[in-house]
Amino acid sequence: MNALLVLIPITLVLAALAVGIFFWAVGHDQFEDLDTPKILPLLDDPPEVQSAQDQVRDARKN
Amino acid sequence: MNIDPAVWSRPALVAEVLRRRRDGLAGIALRISALDQPLLALRLERVLQALPGVVRMSFDAAAQRVRLVVDDRKLDLPRLLAACAGAGCDARPLHRDSQDDGDRRLLNRSLQRLLVAGVFAMQAMMFALVLYLGARDTTAQLFRWLGMLSAAPVVGYAAWPFYRDALAGLRAGRPGIDVPVALAIGLIFMASTVNAMRGGGEVYFDSVSMFVFVLLLGRHLALRARVRHRALGEAVADAMPILAQRRRGDGTLEAAAAAELVPGDRVHVAEGAAVPCDGVLESRHARIDESLLTGESRACVRRRGEAVAAGSIALDAPLDLEITRDVAASATSMLAKLATAAHGLRDGAADADAPAARLFVWRVLALALATAAFWLWRDPARAFDATVAVLVVACPCAFGLASPAVRTRGMAVLARIGVLVVRPQALDALADVDRALIDKTGTLTEPALRVDDIETFRGTPRMEALAAAAALAQGSRHPLAQAVLRAADAVGIPHAADVQAVAGGGLRGCIGGRELRFGRAGFACAAAADDDVLWLADAEGPLARIPVVETLRPHATEAVAALRVAGIAPAIISGDAPGRVRDVAAQLGIDDWAARQSPEDKLARVRAEQAAGVRVLAIGDGSNDAAALAAADVAAVPSGGTDLARTHAGLALLRGLEDLPAARELAVRARAILLANRRWSLLWNLGAIPFAALGLVPPWLAALGMSASSLAVVLNTLRIREPQRATSLPASLRAGTA
Repeated sequence: MNALLVLIPITLVLAALAVGIFFWAVGHDQFEDLDTPKILPLLDDPPEVQSAQDQVRDARKN
Repeated sequence: MNIDPAVWSRPALVAEVLRRRRDGLAGIALRISALDQPLLALRLERVLQALPGVVRMSFDAAAQRVRLVVDDRKLDLPRLLAACAGAGCDARPLHRDSQDDGDRRLLNRSLQRLLVAGVFAMQAMMFALVLYLGARDTTAQLFRWLGMLSAAPVVGYAAWPFYRDALAGLRAGRPGIDVPVALAIGLIFMASTVNAMRGGGEVYFDSVSMFVFVLLLGRHLALRARVRHRALGEAVADAMPILAQRRRGDGTLEAAAAAELVPGDRVHVAEGAAVPCDGVLESRHARIDESLLTGESRACVRRRGEAVAAGSIALDAPLDLEITRDVAASATSMLAKLATAAHGLRDGAADADAPAARLFVWRVLALALATAAFWLWRDPARAFDATVAVLVVACPCAFGLASPAVRTRGMAVLARIGVLVVRPQALDALADVDRALIDKTGTLTEPALRVDDIETFRGTPRMEALAAAAALAQGSRHPLAQAVLRAADAVGIPHAADVQAVAGGGLRGCIGGRELRFGRAGFACAAAADDDVLWLADAEGPLARIPVVETLRPHATEAVAALRVAGIAPAIISGDAPGRVRDVAAQLGIDDWAARQSPEDKLARVRAEQAAGVRVLAIGDGSNDAAALAAADVAAVPSGGTDLARTHAGLALLRGLEDLPAARELAVRARAILLANRRWSLLWNLGAIPFAALGLVPPWLAALGMSASSLAVVLNTLRIREPQRATSLPASLRAGTA
């Protein structure tokens, strides 16, 4: 019985924690686009992108 | 239109575009028509991700929009637009009102409720399991209380939409399905609470939480389907420019926000740009394209002093006008509002399963009452528990899930074969359609070039002319440009610099330092008369004359045959000349064709068919099809359709006609599975009620039955799969639709 008295509050706290994290994620649009991110890492860098990113990097340095 | 991106740093324009957020960041919506080209879209995504100040972004390929959350202290609009242009995507900022945050907030709220219901329903089930396993005395009492504690957020917070809608329904005098649902949730929870407090009798905290969760899941799926595709219908509003060039008193131009313009202002509209507000023409005469407004795709000529409507596009030459109405009162805004209202009506009206469900739930409530009355008469001590058991067992969980699950699954599978469902009802309606009215140009046929027909001048080699034309056409999605590229397949294409597309004209660019123009005669060589011929010219005059012929699109014959097999009788309704329509109809074996059809004729034909009891599928891509598309039971628009046509589409065909037969097959299958789902879920509910009324269904059995029936519905829905012979989209296309 003593174990229950510890474990039950823990489950409730965990559930509340999960809900809190999820609310944060929803509020920060993490569920907006579930389809594009999975494709992104599979793409080769087209040369133009490289140059655009370089430009941005240069702009940051300056 | 070449406007220096720097004008977008003007405060008046920035205020039109940026939507302030509570966290100090700003939201921006961009319209980027290149977004349906997956590789460009992905390249753009990477470029944007690398920009400092971009916090979040989301792509909506169907609506051709990118939404960004940016820190505007680190990133200003001109830099953002320059980055988009650098990625080869022409971006146009949209008015901040078009960021439709309302829909997204609604969706987020619904997702939050769904999760709360899910997490706490699991908790409640876990605690209930202890009771089912035979806990007794103090332990049982503890777990009853814990069950109540877990169910409280579900019933008190997550189920809120049911109470709200039930109240709204009662107030409006039209109680819907939410009234009995809210009643059942409230009654079961209260009865269980009473039992938990008095320490005897059954508690149903797990069942009621799961009931709420499953119903919320159904609601959420339906809402997501509606919201995700609504933005597509806003193309008309998107087409309104928010930037204008105002003429100062001394005749010089300044950039101004369209919303700042007041009647009396004089405005300059560049070649190929849209008119920002209604006004009267000050230039001597102008050729404009009003297709967005009227569906008329031919250019109209306006003279000085005549009215020009907002949203029309200046062809050939820039024009000047004096504003007569401000943006809000202009014709296009009114039209967009009307269209939105019309769609709202149509979308709201069709929730097919509502009447059946309402009837069912009211009957259940009546049965529960009858049970209570019976036990009060026979054995009052058992009345309470038996009545609650009836309510629990009869909850139409699986029933509520049936329709949203089938729709969501059907839309996902259709997207995989290249058919996007824009309006969720289109999926249901497609199963009933028995006649297809097909537009010819752009749907059944496409333009093509025959290399041998190319006529060259001033000694230009034929292949060199073709290669130059292809170089200019490379970036364009216009059907004629695509035809040139197909014809130039085997030719080495040179590099063209500074390529610009001029609306209603053609393409302009530099090859090897020489400026070339390619397009309609009036645009390319300024002199010759317009006909069905493309011209390539340099500064000195025409270089080549490239006639265009019409060929059937690939797979058109198979698609038409397959439609016929599927029980849909095809007919060609075209605005083109009778000779050409007859040829195409003969090639496809279609007897039913009509030529020289105006938009009104097409609409009348749709209405006539419908009056005769025929369900009509309209397929077309042009603005002149828009009226017919709007009136048809299902409207399908192939890729490359105009904005106005897309606005009225129920289905967007990413490849073309060839995917329609498979889509129809899928729709029929989805319908069959939906009906089966409904039948079985009702059968379970009705079958269990008598046992519950006799007090023979313990809580664990009720919970088990409820989850089993919901699970059965979901598993059955997964039987909607791609038809065997349908070809999946190539990966390159799939990336953009996903």
